[in-house]
Amino acid sequence: MEVIQQLLTQLPKSIVLTGKENTRPFECDGLSVYRQNPLAVVLPENIAQIKQVLKICKDNNTSVVTRGAGTGLAGGAMPLENSVVLGLSKLNQVKSIDAENRLAVIEPGVRNIAISEAVAQYGLYYAPDPSSQIACTIGGNVAENSGGVHCLKYGLTVHNVEAIKMLTIDGDELVLSRHDDGLGLLALMNGSEGLLGIIIEITVKLTPTPAFARVVMAGFDSIRDCANAVADIIKAGIIPAGLEMMDSFAIEAAEGFAKVGYPLDAKALLLCELDGTQMQVQAELDSVLKVLSGASTLKVSESEEERLNFWKGRKSAFPAVGRLSPDYYCMDGTIPRRHLADMLEKINELSKKYQLRVANVFHAGDGNLHPLILYDANIGGELEKVEKFGTEILKLSVDMGGTITGEHGVGVEKLNAMCHQFNAKELAIFHKIKAVFDPKSLLNPGKAVPELHRCAELGAMHVHHGKLPHPELERF
Amino acid sequence: MSNRIIQLQQLIKNANHLHINSEWLAYAGVIEYYPEELVITVKAGTKISAIQAKLAKHNQVLPFFIKATDISIGAAYAKGAQDLSDCVLGVKIIDGTGEYLNFGGQVIKNVAGYDVARLLVGSKGKLAVITQISFKVMPKAYIGKIKKPYSSKSDNPILREIEQKLKQVFDPRSIFK
Repeated sequence: MEVIQQLLTQLPKSIVLTGKENTRPFECDGLSVYRQNPLAVVLPENIAQIKQVLKICKDNNTSVVTRGAGTGLAGGAMPLENSVVLGLSKLNQVKSIDAENRLAVIEPGVRNIAISEAVAQYGLYYAPDPSSQIACTIGGNVAENSGGVHCLKYGLTVHNVEAIKMLTIDGDELVLSRHDDGLGLLALMNGSEGLLGIIIEITVKLTPTPAFARVVMAGFDSIRDCANAVADIIKAGIIPAGLEMMDSFAIEAAEGFAKVGYPLDAKALLLCELDGTQMQVQAELDSVLKVLSGASTLKVSESEEERLNFWKGRKSAFPAVGRLSPDYYCMDGTIPRRHLADMLEKINELSKKYQLRVANVFHAGDGNLHPLILYDANIGGELEKVEKFGTEILKLSVDMGGTITGEHGVGVEKLNAMCHQFNAKELAIFHKIKAVFDPKSLLNPGKAVPELHRCAELGAMHVHHGKLPHPELERF
Repeated sequence: MSNRIIQLQQLIKNANHLHINSEWLAYAGVIEYYPEELVITVKAGTKISAIQAKLAKHNQVLPFFIKATDISIGAAYAKGAQDLSDCVLGVKIIDGTGEYLNFGGQVIKNVAGYDVARLLVGSKGKLAVITQISFKVMPKAYIGKIKKPYSSKSDNPILREIEQKLKQVFDPRSIFK
């Protein structure tokens, strides 16, 4: 292929991978059920090389899939057929730290946790903490507008990015800052899933490391009581640093794996982290304990070790579930918090209907659900069943006033679900926005926004303006 | 859909030039407010003071710098500021062809589709008519003194061209002046 030849002759050979054996490690991202070998993988070491790759791809009408660490869960970094993967993992330098103004300028391949490690000496850290933070890169975080456990209090990626430098498909450098007068282009780039440009430098905001943090662990006899407790904490005027919920299956799995002392008789578990000065934490703790007085078990972390231990179970919930089942599928819908209990009951009904087990772990504070559907990909038809199950959950999320994806992105995975959340007119606007930046549609084409004919073929039933599909069904 | 929205759609479809302001919009009031969700949804013509009064009953505030309280929330959105943008969760708009469209929603985490709800912050009424906005609100106790945000105009011609093309996306007939 001409494009491969040009990459090999115009770039150092050491940064260009070709041939199936060499490109195989890049054939998928964290959503490994979808795989595709690219034409080539280029791992540039500087901006000039990125520009060269873009030029070659543009001249040859070849699509470009930008990739960070490949930890995404929606197929956003999965190669496309006949595409070139642009992996930015070698651009991994923290360029400067401005402790006084709490800013750091970093390259896109810097790992999320490495930012916090680099600035720890100043008593600062980078707040957004997706669970893949030891591996995922800041460039990928911006592309996906990643979340994490602490979003309710500290915001998503979009709230913690001060400025970016990006390349257009033409190789032009643009700087977008929070302080630009005019349209919200910086916000537009956050979560644009590699469809609009290549992010080559990020200025992130840093947060002072809280002096104190304590976690309250509360077990409940019913899911509904636990969900109500979430609303009651917020109603009491408290913004916890983290507010996480697990159902009994997830508790059992996590405890079996991490052995951290979770109450195995509880139907639901709440982890509520409070942080700040000692006085703030104590005041919040008093209020939270009052609100949670109806819990069946109630424990407060008494040491830093115990606090981390309480989290260890939650953070290992995914691998713990992975131990119980050959495969699992992770969903990412978000709903208004007041519907949490109803949603859980619905998911349980669907679990019975599809005969598939579900473990529920939630970022309850912001209504972001991660039901894990357990299945075995080796059983014929099981994956299709899971996808149907998942689609039902996502439709419910939209009907409850929420969204199909809170923090994982659409990628290739949720294209069908997008047809349910947006009508044809809204999707057309998205396509036109892409065309402004990328008229030949070479940047990660076909991802994130479904083609209109795809939705039409699905018979997607998005009905607008209050006329819901299936009016006979109970709404929440 | 409310009658006023249908009227506005007709007005826009039939117009050659429009200058949008809250008097012309004539669409005001709080649509939904759930204190335990930390979310308020308002019609764009609502006075900021009216929103603040509603939130104050639950010790909550709009957590961004407010210069004047007697202007509409739509005007503040149109003028744009980064701290206001940070609190935007969703918008309903009527574009330059009269289509009524919904972007974002009422939840804090939402990465489905491009972030049009925040893209249009600072659009100065020149891309679309913003009819409804949802904001994240915060308990008063968590919000200290809010500094006045600053902004500056970039002189990059490529950015100006992108903005011009984005106007075409939302207002292809160029009626919003």
